[in-house]
Amino acid sequence: MSIMLKITDLHARVAGKEILKGLNLELEAGEIHAIMGPNGAGKSTLGNVLSGREGYEVTQGEVIFNGKNLLEMEPEIRACEGVFLAFQYPVEIPGVNNTYFLRTALNAQRKYRGEEPLDSVGFLRLVREKLEVLHIGDELLHRAVNEGFSGGEKKRNEIFQMAVLEPTLAILDETDSGLDIDALKIVAEGVNRLRSKDRGMIVVTHYQRLLDYIVPDKVHVLADGKLVATGGAELALKLEDQGYAWLEDGGIATLKADATAQTANP
Amino acid sequence: MSDLSAQLASSLPENAGVQPEWLKVIRSAGAEQFRARGLPTRKDEAWKYTGLGALDKDGIELASGMTIPYSGKTHPSPLAESQLQLDLLDGQILAQIGEVPAGLTVLSLTEALTSEVKGLQALLESLADKHPKGAAGRGFSALNSATLDSGVYIHVAAGTDAGRLCLIWSTSQVDKALLFNSRVCVILEQGAKLELLEQFESPAENANTSNVIVQAELGEAADLRHIRFQQESESAVLITRTEVSQQLNSEYAYYGFDLGGGLVRHDVHTSIVGSGAKSAINGAYLLDGKRHVDNHVRVDHFATGGISDQYFRGVAGGSGRAVFNTAVCVHPGADGTEARQSNANILLSTRAEIDTKPELEIYADEVIASHGATVGQLDELAVFYMRSRGLTEQAARQLLTTAFCQSVSDRLADPVLGAVIAQRMMDVMPEAD
Repeated sequence: MSIMLKITDLHARVAGKEILKGLNLELEAGEIHAIMGPNGAGKSTLGNVLSGREGYEVTQGEVIFNGKNLLEMEPEIRACEGVFLAFQYPVEIPGVNNTYFLRTALNAQRKYRGEEPLDSVGFLRLVREKLEVLHIGDELLHRAVNEGFSGGEKKRNEIFQMAVLEPTLAILDETDSGLDIDALKIVAEGVNRLRSKDRGMIVVTHYQRLLDYIVPDKVHVLADGKLVATGGAELALKLEDQGYAWLEDGGIATLKADATAQTANP
Repeated sequence: MSDLSAQLASSLPENAGVQPEWLKVIRSAGAEQFRARGLPTRKDEAWKYTGLGALDKDGIELASGMTIPYSGKTHPSPLAESQLQLDLLDGQILAQIGEVPAGLTVLSLTEALTSEVKGLQALLESLADKHPKGAAGRGFSALNSATLDSGVYIHVAAGTDAGRLCLIWSTSQVDKALLFNSRVCVILEQGAKLELLEQFESPAENANTSNVIVQAELGEAADLRHIRFQQESESAVLITRTEVSQQLNSEYAYYGFDLGGGLVRHDVHTSIVGSGAKSAINGAYLLDGKRHVDNHVRVDHFATGGISDQYFRGVAGGSGRAVFNTAVCVHPGADGTEARQSNANILLSTRAEIDTKPELEIYADEVIASHGATVGQLDELAVFYMRSRGLTEQAARQLLTTAFCQSVSDRLADPVLGAVIAQRMMDVMPEAD
C-alpha cells in the first residue's frame, strides 16, 4: 500500500491562536480514517487547512499529498489534484444554478488534467448515473447552490458533488452534524459507495453514530491540536461509552495500551 | 453658464419656419429654457454626484439631422428576434426590418409631426409639466425640446398585442464629438400591449452624446414592457429620460442594463394616474475603468391601489462610479398604494464608489412601503467554497457577480433574452483588484 497523505508535525493558527500543535497522520490509498475529538480540539481546522482556506495559517510542519507539497497549492489546485472537502456548513450561493456550478467545477478539473470538457449532454448523463447510485432525486439540480436547502439536503448535495468530482482524497467535516437518522443513512451509504482502493477518506465526526454506517479502518482521537490516540473501529465505541473526559490524566496511556493491543491482535 | 452650454445655446436651430405652430411653441420654450439655464451642473440637486466633465473636455457640437453620411459599418445585431426592428443612426430611423403588425403604427417623428397623428401633440406638450421639481436640472430635456424633429412615433391600437419592437440606436464615428437629440413617443390605447426593446451600441469607439427622451402614455389596462440595454463605448455619453403616464390598471415594466458607456444618466419617471396601475422598474449596472452610471428613478402615485416595485443591482470595480437615486411619492388620496424599493451593490475595488439614496414621501393612508439599499463586498466564504471545487478565484468571483446581476435579467421572465443578456453581463463583468 502506498502512502497517499502524510502530515508531519502540523502546526496551524487561526486569528493568532494556535489550534493545531504538531499533528501527525499517514493515510494510505483505499483507507478511511475517522477523526474524533472534543469541541475545540482542532477537527474542523484540519479540514480547512488541508483545503487551503484563507485565515488558516500553517506555522510549522508539512503535508505531502501523492508526493507533492499540498500546502504550497492554491485551493483550486488542491481540488484539481483531487482533494475534496465536504463542508460542515455548505455555503449558499444565491443565483448560481447547482448543475451549472458543478459542471463548471468538473470542467475546470478536467481542463487541469488535460481532458476535454464535458458538454451539457455528457454532463447530464454523468449526473443521472451518480444520482441513481446515491439514491438522490434530481430536485436539487434545478435550484441555486445550497440556497434554501434543508440541513439534510445540503449534506446530500456535498456527497453528490463528491460523487461527480471523484476526488482522490475526501475530507468529510462533520457531515453527520444536524442530520436525522434517515439522512445520516443516505449520506453514509453515499460515502460507502465511493469507497475504493484508489481513494482515501478522512471522516471528521463528533459522534460515533456515523461510524456505525461508515466503518473506518482507523480511528484517531484529536485533542488540543494533536492526535493523542489511534486505534481500530472499536476505539470509537469506547469513546462513545466513556466520553472524552478520561483522555486527560493518564487516560491516553490506557487508551494507547488498548490500541496497541488491538493492533497487535487483530 | 459654462462655455459648453453657451456654445450649444448659440448653435440651436432657427424656429422661424417650423410647422405646425404648436411644435414651434414647444421648440421655442425649450430654447428659451436652455438659454436661461444651460446644461445641468453639480449645483442642481439631481446632478450632485454626476458632473459633465466628460462632455466638457474637448467641447461638443450639436448635431441636427443625419448630416454625416453613414460609414457603412455594420449596425449592431439585435439581442433578440423581433416583429419589427428599427435601426437608428444619430437619432434618426435608418432602416426598418420586418413586418408592421395590424394595429401598430410606426412613423419617423419627423413625419408624425406633420401628419396630425393621434395624441402626439398632447403627449409632447405634457413633458414640461411632468416633473414636480420643475425645470431645475432639466437642461438636456430643454435641449431635446429645442431641437425636436427626429425620433420615432409608436401607436398601438386598442386591444392589439404588437409584440416586440426593437430600436437599435447607434451613432456615427466622426473626428469630433457630436450631441444627438431624439424623441420616442409611445401611445398604447386601452388594452394594447407592446414590448419595446432599446439597444444602444455604437459600432466603433466614439465620444458622442446621445440625448434620448422616451414618452409613453398607457391607456386603461395597457401593458408596456420596456427593455433598455446599453453597451456603448468607453467614451460615449448616453443621457436618457423616460416619462410614463399610466391609466387605470395599466402595467409598465422597465428593465435597464448598463454594461458600457463612459458617462450614462437615466431618469425614469412614472406617474400612476389611474387606480390599480403597476410599475416595475428594474435595472443592473456593471462598471469598471472610469465609467460613471447614474440612475434616477421616481414613481408618483396619484391614484388608489397602485403598485410600484423598484429593483436595482450594481457591481462596481476599478474607479467606476454608480449613482442610484430612487424616489417614491404617494400623493394625498393614493390610498392602498404598495411601494417597494430595493437597491443592492457590490464594490469590487477600493477606488470604486457607489452612492445610493432612497427617498420616500407618503401623504396617503393604508400604504405599504419598504425600501432597502446596501453596498457590500462579495461573500469570501462563497468564493472559497467555489475554489475548493476547482474554480479559479477569478472564475468564482465572476460567477458570483454575474449571478448577482442575473437576478435582474431573470426578472424579464424571458429565458431566451434573459440568457443572452446574462451572457453579455458575464463577458464584461468587472474584476476585483
